[in-house]
Amino acid sequence: MNKTPRHFDKILSFYRANRRMPSHAEIAQAAGLRSKGSTYKLVNRLVELGFVERDGRGKLLPGRRFHSVPLIGTVEAGWPSPAEEELIDTVSLEEFLIRRPDKTYMLKVQGDSMVDAGIMPGDMVLVERGVKEKDGDIIIAEVDNEWTMKYYRKRGGKVWLEAANRKYKPIYPENELRIAAIVRAVIRKY
Amino acid sequence: MRGRGPTPLTIRSFPSAVIHIDADAFFASCEQSRNSELQGRPVITGKERNIVASMSYEAKARGVVRAMRLSEVRRLCPDAVFLPSDYETYGLLSKRLFSIVRRYTPDVEEYGIDECFADITGMQRPLRMNYRRIAAAIKQELDDAFGFTFSVGLAPNKTIAKIASKWKKPSGLTVIPGRDIHEFIRDMPVEKVWGIGPQTTAYLNKQGIRMALDFARRDEAWVKSHLSQPFYETWRELNGEAVMALVTEEKETYASIQKVKTFTPPSSDPEFVFAQLCKNVENATMKARRYKLAAGRAVCFLKTQDFHGTGAEVRFSRSTAFPHEVIKALEPVFERLFKPSQLYRSTGVVLFKLSDDVIIQPDLFGVTARIERLARVYEAVDGVRVKYGKHTLFLGSSYPAHKFGQHLGERGDVPDRKEELFNGETARKRLAIPMFMGDVK
Repeated sequence: MNKTPRHFDKILSFYRANRRMPSHAEIAQAAGLRSKGSTYKLVNRLVELGFVERDGRGKLLPGRRFHSVPLIGTVEAGWPSPAEEELIDTVSLEEFLIRRPDKTYMLKVQGDSMVDAGIMPGDMVLVERGVKEKDGDIIIAEVDNEWTMKYYRKRGGKVWLEAANRKYKPIYPENELRIAAIVRAVIRKY
Repeated sequence: MRGRGPTPLTIRSFPSAVIHIDADAFFASCEQSRNSELQGRPVITGKERNIVASMSYEAKARGVVRAMRLSEVRRLCPDAVFLPSDYETYGLLSKRLFSIVRRYTPDVEEYGIDECFADITGMQRPLRMNYRRIAAAIKQELDDAFGFTFSVGLAPNKTIAKIASKWKKPSGLTVIPGRDIHEFIRDMPVEKVWGIGPQTTAYLNKQGIRMALDFARRDEAWVKSHLSQPFYETWRELNGEAVMALVTEEKETYASIQKVKTFTPPSSDPEFVFAQLCKNVENATMKARRYKLAAGRAVCFLKTQDFHGTGAEVRFSRSTAFPHEVIKALEPVFERLFKPSQLYRSTGVVLFKLSDDVIIQPDLFGVTARIERLARVYEAVDGVRVKYGKHTLFLGSSYPAHKFGQHLGERGDVPDRKEELFNGETARKRLAIPMFMGDVK
């Protein structure tokens, strides 16, 4: 039998959040049940199926099948997979976007010079300082006392900056090019 | 007494190794490194206080010094850029400084917002670098991460490390092994040594000691009998011993909590000035609650436009961290201090006699129950503030101070970061990531 009973996911999330089993009243609240009777019936069914157990005083304990249900995704569980272990290998959105927190800065995009790279005016860009730039990186450089965001291009000994918009011509720096940071992510919130 | 000759003070180079790291013109550098338009120009922060808090090296070269009035800066340096302090950003960057240094050693003392000590004794093998290379690597990583420079000093102890980091600024890396200390302090006036103040300097001068090396060469017995313990420690450190341990714990408790705020224009409206005081009380008690402290006494003071201050102390019947209780006690004091004929420019409150905020004795009259109820109320208030921003919820008596910005007119300029918001950020809650400023074309 692979089907997870109704409302069991609520008990499981309660357990994960509080590190203890819920009381009957808490189950009723989580499952939206009004009567004690129907809560009792629900718990009985879960006991029968082996998802939970009752101790000597009637309090709930995790049953033998308790940990075999993944919390996320569908309530259909195929293989009994230890979901908690799977979750160890997940990252937060922050960790996903930011590789080196101590060197990451953000900026707000103005202008349309990178629109063909999907970077629009008003977008938030996460940039990293102190990284060696390479051909094809999107970089923030200082040109004539202004920040500019462009593709960094390097062929042979030649270096230039390229916009992602046909309206703009490439920039061939005359003096030393001062690169402040490299673009790591673009975020747009709607 | 030993002579001032070339004899080293100690023959050991690094019995222990301490680094002192100091950012170069920190606030001004934070501003310049995030805004390309400011690079190479004289930049000054502290506009909101009308005095120089920090100046860039371009401004320093023109004779601008710390605490100078902005009107004088304008005369010296008409092209200077004045910026309001953006402490939020400086604070974020300060944390990064410590966190980067902690990658090399866990023994880091956060000595100021822009400086720290790091003990790297014994780290050569795990880091596979000698002490000089470690110091250089830390400096390189900081310079890269911030886009401006740091000055680093490496020495056998804190006192000498401080001398080393100041030796060459900006962007210095100075190494003073024990056997070279005498070379560095020979021509250094004794008042330049960390911890030796004007009183001690005057006394040492009377004893014929002018240079740090003269002091270091004095007999141990003489130093012990003529000076107090801290100066004996300084003397030992000048001789190459490591005596002063690093204070590596984060600050967890306070002896007193002070909140002072200036406002412009000055005011003689009692309700407004009292509201400013209430706002300070709210901020001070909020901080006390955050550290689980309660105050036994408080001092409140008012400053007039011509910088005269008046103040008075109040005692509480029991320690408290609740603003309405503090305000109630301060109200009669305020009425006594306040003169309607005066223009006031700032108010302040200091909470002291701080103790751990636990309910000490249960009592007969149900006061404990009332305090527990209040504690729950303020727990909720603090919760709302954490979620929605510091000033979403405040007492009615503070309202006149919240109605307007702290400073009207030019001093009221707020840092650009507070106005440059992303979708989803609010004036009170912003992302904790420093932001590049200026137009990005």
